[in-house]
Amino acid sequence: MASTKTRPIEKFAKAASKCSVEAAAYGKCVVADYNAVQKDICAKEFMKLKDCFLAASKKP
Amino acid sequence: MSLARVFRPAVRSPRLYTPRTPTYTASSSCLSRRTYASQTPGNPVMEVFNRKTKHLQKDRAARNIDESRKTDYIKDEVATRLCERLLDIKRTFPQVLDLGANSCNIARALTMPDPDPDAPGGSSPPLSTRISHLTCIDTSEALLHRDADEPFNSQMALTRQVVPNLESLPFAENSFDAVLSSLSIHWINDLPSLLAQVNSILKPDCPFIAAMFGGDTLFELRTSLQLADLERRGGVSPHVSPLADVKDVGGLLNKAGFKMLTVDVEDIVVEFPDTFALMQDLQAMGENNAILHRELGPISRDVLLANEAIYRQLHMQEGDRGVPATFRLIYMIGWKEGEGQAKPLERGSGQLNLKDLLGGGSF
Repeated sequence: MASTKTRPIEKFAKAASKCSVEAAAYGKCVVADYNAVQKDICAKEFMKLKDCFLAASKKP
Repeated sequence: MSLARVFRPAVRSPRLYTPRTPTYTASSSCLSRRTYASQTPGNPVMEVFNRKTKHLQKDRAARNIDESRKTDYIKDEVATRLCERLLDIKRTFPQVLDLGANSCNIARALTMPDPDPDAPGGSSPPLSTRISHLTCIDTSEALLHRDADEPFNSQMALTRQVVPNLESLPFAENSFDAVLSSLSIHWINDLPSLLAQVNSILKPDCPFIAAMFGGDTLFELRTSLQLADLERRGGVSPHVSPLADVKDVGGLLNKAGFKMLTVDVEDIVVEFPDTFALMQDLQAMGENNAILHRELGPISRDVLLANEAIYRQLHMQEGDRGVPATFRLIYMIGWKEGEGQAKPLERGSGQLNLKDLLGGGSF
């Protein structure tokens, strides 16, 4: 049943896996000072990650 | 300075002695009714989890039979380890209850051939040979009957019973020779009440053996989702349900009247290819978040993306093939009080000094 159709989450995971460099940069930024995380503290890194993710999810 | 000297000026203060006659009656009658703070009758009802949500999640998960079976790895493993504990009890059990049976994982584990690798003859009969009848109860019909056609069903006497609510058990007192429970009671709102009921439906001197998720289960997911939530949205919402802690379990069992308690902990770490696979599996197990005041709707895509990155950075070690997820299992055994049971001696009745026994020395 599930094998014939890819679930949205699987597409999502596949696209996210193509951005490991950007993900590592964002992860490092958040984890660097995880006791003092605030909103948008790593917004720049996240936007790079998201751009990469959006580009990767567009490709067939 | 003595206390008397501190108080003296206040007592002499003229203002305190000023007689106030009018408009005093209302407040004085109010004052006279003041009593000690006491609890209202009956136990306070604790509601942490939404029972209906949990039921729907389990039901939905079980409808997708393939996925549900594939993700039974933890439940099967824990059921097997739980049943191993029965090897130490040299008894036969005419009536056994499986409380919160999921897909009858315990029945499957009980019918496994040769459960005791250290048996003297080299092989041992399945544990189910010592059990005359097993009653499996759960709230989800789909999950309970998922494996009703599997071969293990014919290897032991088994009854499945759908109950509307696991928190009130529809059984008479003194009706079971053992109550087993594997990975279900961590979703119970009122654990003290359930344990007291279990104690009452057991026959005297009979065991309750259970395993549940506890404390640090999925701490990786909990922490990284918190960080992702905080960084993306500026606040935190509970995405992982709270669980009982190991140190509370002994007290809970004790309070419910169980004797000769054994509580132990075990961690199972599972590696997943990514956090999405972890969350998918949790959903297929029917173990997704069911906190009463959770945020409804799916987690936003931004948070999911951020979570994946943070999880990897925070919890992956060098050489890990995938992202690790810890499942902390609390195993508990408690016995209902009965005649002829070993009891602790009274306090102060000890004849030997433990210090001498351990060889003295200074502490």
